Amino acid sequence: MNVASVRVNRTAGGSGFERRKKGNKTKDLNITSLIDILTILLVFMIKNISMDATQKNQPEGMLLPTTITRNELIESGKAVFVKIYTDKILYGAENIPVGSLQDFITRQDTRQSLLRILQMEARSITSVNSQPCLLILADKELPCRYITEFIKFSAQAAFANIYFSTIHTDDRDEVLGI
Amino acid sequence: MAYGPSKNRTRTQREAREPNLIPIMNLFIVVIPMLMTIMVSVHLAMIEITLPTQAAGGGGDETEEQIEELPKVITLALFPDRFEIKVEGKKKVIEIPYLSPGRYDYVTLDKNIAKLKEEHTNQGTIEILPDPAVKFDTLLRSIDICKSNNFPNIKYLTAATKYYRAK
Repeated sequence: MNVASVRVNRTAGGSGFERRKKGNKTKDLNITSLIDILTILLVFMIKNISMDATQKNQPEGMLLPTTITRNELIESGKAVFVKIYTDKILYGAENIPVGSLQDFITRQDTRQSLLRILQMEARSITSVNSQPCLLILADKELPCRYITEFIKFSAQAAFANIYFSTIHTDDRDEVLGI
Repeated sequence: MAYGPSKNRTRTQREAREPNLIPIMNLFIVVIPMLMTIMVSVHLAMIEITLPTQAAGGGGDETEEQIEELPKVITLALFPDRFEIKVEGKKKVIEIPYLSPGRYDYVTLDKNIAKLKEEHTNQGTIEILPDPAVKFDTLLRSIDICKSNNFPNIKYLTAATKYYRAK
């Protein structure tokens, strides 16, 4: 291993320069071990990095359910994200606000505008020979009535493949609540 | 004009040159925080569900043997206070009451689903019917239990009528 060091001048001003000139009072800061750690850290991070959009962290302010099983997106499938919070619905990766859950259930204009967007998205995905998939990210405390409504709604927009987003775990007991 | 030999040259001959690590350190200082920010801390997974389709009419050419081989429809209903499992053709409904309000008995559900898989090895689909008041977490755990017991296809029933008609 290379022994590397950085020379550090601990004194300041003209007097220090004079001392160094004498060549007997310089101290070396050994950063070899630091470089070693940083190299290992860098390799570890590069190995673990994921550029997959579906592997991103969970949405802020949302608690996702935990599951042990997982499915992959169907071949040639293209996902459209919908985030359903307990108080609001956000559409797409850009988090476009759709409205509150109550608006979604009761207001016809909210439903119509969302339906139009979903249908447009489904058409554009189908036009490139892909299959539209809907990825629902919903809060674990959300009542199923909204999920059911949303699934029925998305079926109208030609989204036949529905996925729920969860946090993956290998601990079966956690899912069983033990 | 001729120049004299470089002083560095003479120094190299005397002692081993130390590599300059300052640029590497600068690079590390930039790259490591960047990687830390984009590193995945929680692995997200996806659970697939299928939507119910219109039931196809029975073919007149099918023999009785073929009809017998058809897998029985298994329906798991989620209620705020219990789970109910209904198997097509059986009058008895398996009821799994909750342990306490808000605490479902997932262990018993897991055992029952595993038992059903042993009895219906050719069935790979479970229909799930959640009550509107049931939480999404309960739905996902139930789906997960079904999938982990070799029922890979989960059919999400959006209307309660089918279940009650079957009962």
